[in-house]
Amino acid sequence: MAQIAAERYTGASVKRAEDPRILTGAGRYVGDIKLPGMLHAAFVRSPLAHGRVLAVDASAARALPGVVAVLTGADLEEMTIPGQDPLLAMMGGDGPVAEYTLLATDKVRFVGDPVALVVAESRYLAEDGCELVEVDYEDLPPVANAASALDAGSPPLFASVGDNIIGPHKRSEFGDVAGTFAGADRVAEFHIDVHRHQNVPMEGRGCVASYEAGSGVMTVHAATQSVHVTRMAVATRLGIDRDKVRVLAGDIGGSFGLKIGASREELAVAAAARAVGRPVKWVEDRSENLTASGHAREESFDVRAAVSDDGDLLGLDVRMVIDTGAYPVMGTMVPGIIEAMLPGPYKLTALGFESTAVTTNKASYVAYRGPWASETFVRERVLDLVAKDLGLDPLEIRLRNVAPSTRPPFLMVTGRPLIGVTTRESLERVAELVDLPAFRRRQAEARVQGRYLGIGLATFIEAAPGPRSAEGSGGPMGMEYMRLRLAEDGVVTLFTGQMPHGQGHQTTLAQIAADEFGVPFEQVRVVIGDTDVVPFGLTGGSRSATMTGGVALHGARQLKAKVLDFAALLMEASALDLEITDGQVLVRGDPDSAIPVEEVARQAASGHFDADADTNLEVEASFDGGEGGWSGGSHCAIVEVDVETGLVKVERYVAAEDCGALINPAVVEGQIRGGIAQGIGAVLLERSAYDSGGNYQSATFMDYLLPTACDVPRIEIEHLETVPLDADVNFRGVGEGGLIVAPPTLVNAIEDALTPFGVRIYEQHLPPARILELIAAAQSG
Amino acid sequence: MVDITVRVNGATHTNSVEARTTLSDFLRDDLDLTGTHVGCEHGVCGACTVIVDGRAVRSCLMLAVQAAGSEVTTVEGLAPDGSLGTLQQAMWDSHSFQCGFCTPGFIMQATAFLSAHPDAGEQEIREALSGNICRCTGYQSIIDGVLLAARRSHTD
Repeated sequence: MAQIAAERYTGASVKRAEDPRILTGAGRYVGDIKLPGMLHAAFVRSPLAHGRVLAVDASAARALPGVVAVLTGADLEEMTIPGQDPLLAMMGGDGPVAEYTLLATDKVRFVGDPVALVVAESRYLAEDGCELVEVDYEDLPPVANAASALDAGSPPLFASVGDNIIGPHKRSEFGDVAGTFAGADRVAEFHIDVHRHQNVPMEGRGCVASYEAGSGVMTVHAATQSVHVTRMAVATRLGIDRDKVRVLAGDIGGSFGLKIGASREELAVAAAARAVGRPVKWVEDRSENLTASGHAREESFDVRAAVSDDGDLLGLDVRMVIDTGAYPVMGTMVPGIIEAMLPGPYKLTALGFESTAVTTNKASYVAYRGPWASETFVRERVLDLVAKDLGLDPLEIRLRNVAPSTRPPFLMVTGRPLIGVTTRESLERVAELVDLPAFRRRQAEARVQGRYLGIGLATFIEAAPGPRSAEGSGGPMGMEYMRLRLAEDGVVTLFTGQMPHGQGHQTTLAQIAADEFGVPFEQVRVVIGDTDVVPFGLTGGSRSATMTGGVALHGARQLKAKVLDFAALLMEASALDLEITDGQVLVRGDPDSAIPVEEVARQAASGHFDADADTNLEVEASFDGGEGGWSGGSHCAIVEVDVETGLVKVERYVAAEDCGALINPAVVEGQIRGGIAQGIGAVLLERSAYDSGGNYQSATFMDYLLPTACDVPRIEIEHLETVPLDADVNFRGVGEGGLIVAPPTLVNAIEDALTPFGVRIYEQHLPPARILELIAAAQSG
Repeated sequence: MVDITVRVNGATHTNSVEARTTLSDFLRDDLDLTGTHVGCEHGVCGACTVIVDGRAVRSCLMLAVQAAGSEVTTVEGLAPDGSLGTLQQAMWDSHSFQCGFCTPGFIMQATAFLSAHPDAGEQEIREALSGNICRCTGYQSIIDGVLLAARRSHTD
């Protein structure tokens, strides 16, 4: 199905190769997998936030017809290796190590903590079995929030840690913090909270595991952002050699950071499959997903800002506490990124940063689309609050503080060069698009009629991949790998460790390779999701545009050179005179010489050539990110707040984004809109709520509210393309920016709307009831 | 176990099911029609939407036994020969979806809605689809796909 006649596929909104299967119900998600003899698992979960497990009686469940096995925490402990979270172990977090088992043994640490696993002939029977497992608990006092966790007298979740401080208190200083604050005209102080909310992919976590006792091979069909990280986790916790673990993945129903590696439940299912000798499937239901898959954010910040009377933000001093929930995964890694990114695109010259990570009796902290996003929320909120104090316009204070474009580039106070950053341009562009002066007039007229409109601006940069380090010590994001082969049927085949879950990599990578190699888009195949054939890789951190786009480009170039070397033998020409156009190899300028690449591939595979001819039309490519660069942008929202009901309507939303050279504009815009929609949800609807006893309050979609088609407006997007930094690869990541910058954009707009009431906002979650409280408090205060 | 006969995508199936089996599980597990996805099992997200006797229903909230004697259409029934129907084609052209998990539900909901409201405008389409949750796209591309399909149906 040839689809476009563009000169180049790269840069065009090529229709996605994934869509014919997903539009016809022919996608293959983990829940669709059915293996011969497959059993089903369900988990018995803790109803308590914090408790001691005194006894687990599974006898009635084991006696239920259809139940094949019940595995308790103690059973699992015998068949697996306790340890840290595999991802944390791989990435290396700071602080004391909390080791734990896959299922709770001595203690339960949050509502939903898995305690036992029932394996049965159907999911229905497995859930019946769960009902029959009796667990005796002894209540322990819950550590339900960060304040309790910081109290040295709080009962430690992990005896080995001794208290609930998992990321030790640390302080760093950049620039002259004391001098800057001492010399500032004014110092403003704020306490800012970011609430707990979560990924909620439409498909929850899940896996199907099967173990072949004869060969000792464990095969796991997973929903994961990296088959190799999942393999590492399975091998480590189950004590199997890595080369005897094969992880496969097909279509994945969203993730947004949740499905990195393998969770405790997935590892327990793999252990169960090995124990019972039959394949076992588990796909979490929505209640498990909301309760137990993990939550994000929940951070608080004590902020001091050193400011001049003219509106220069001179320095920040920030104390952060992050509530990482029960089982440390990546919460301890986040403060370091927040510290590095807090200056953003601005020229402040002093930063003090302190952080503490605590464990609490709540679901574990997981990555969610821009895990460090609070740096942007805090900074962009502070700028508006300072602007209000000084009577400055939000655009004016930002333009005043944006770092200048200089050569050599301005260095963020935390060290990285702000090279190729277009913050000033994107701010000016969104202000122009919404016609700021005209809006202010309309806002004033509306207020006279008792209608409260507000406008919010916010800007961000993201290290996707980030600039090459000044010392030249290597690329900004490590290495990315790809194997490329010209298959015998002439299809350019890319093997990537990327594990797309909505990003459309089977389209975008094919666009790049098709252009670089010289074949039609349809003649490129992108192979994903099998540890036996794809190189190491991970989809996350907005990494793939630069890193994988880049390795696809360079790899296709290398493969083309190899194919031309071999074709030169066939065609009795110099490789230097050959080119590949539209799937044909030809002597440049001589169309009659053309032979299809499939003919070249067939000849190479024929075995008719001498050993000294290189007939292996395959390359292994790697890419270090080249010159890298920043992605970023500015967003602007216009909202109307109904001060009677507290409802916020997003009237208009404009984004000017810079992700360098676009691979596929429709895919880029989909990423931006999707992130903004999640930001609208985060501010207006979504909250992973616990009561003061650590009981989870948001376990259904009637309680955890997601934005619908009526809540998200049409989003207007303009693309700015930065000056290229690299000779070949100027694609930048765009996966996370929408959710990084939409929350401050919206909160700034809401505060602007409520200016007549004197409302100041120091938090991110603003459902109607909270809006009314803020108005009432401001009026009474 | 209860014996039921259901017509699904034009084929008659006679099966024996547990009374508690949901229609979604029956379609997926007994008939291997895994295009129907299960997203919440409490009727909010709409991923499991199928058409039963001409109406869009949440197959996670309906029991298989309740579908006895009914005519059920799932996403697999829209393009039986592997081609794309008008709506599917318009959604492909509009880059409507990303991860694809909510997709069958949106397609079935929109199919039922467009057949009853071929002249619907954007706001009506948004309201009609507001019971289906997509976590990836922000909806605009889905709405654009439905609008494009409606326009093409008129010009056909």
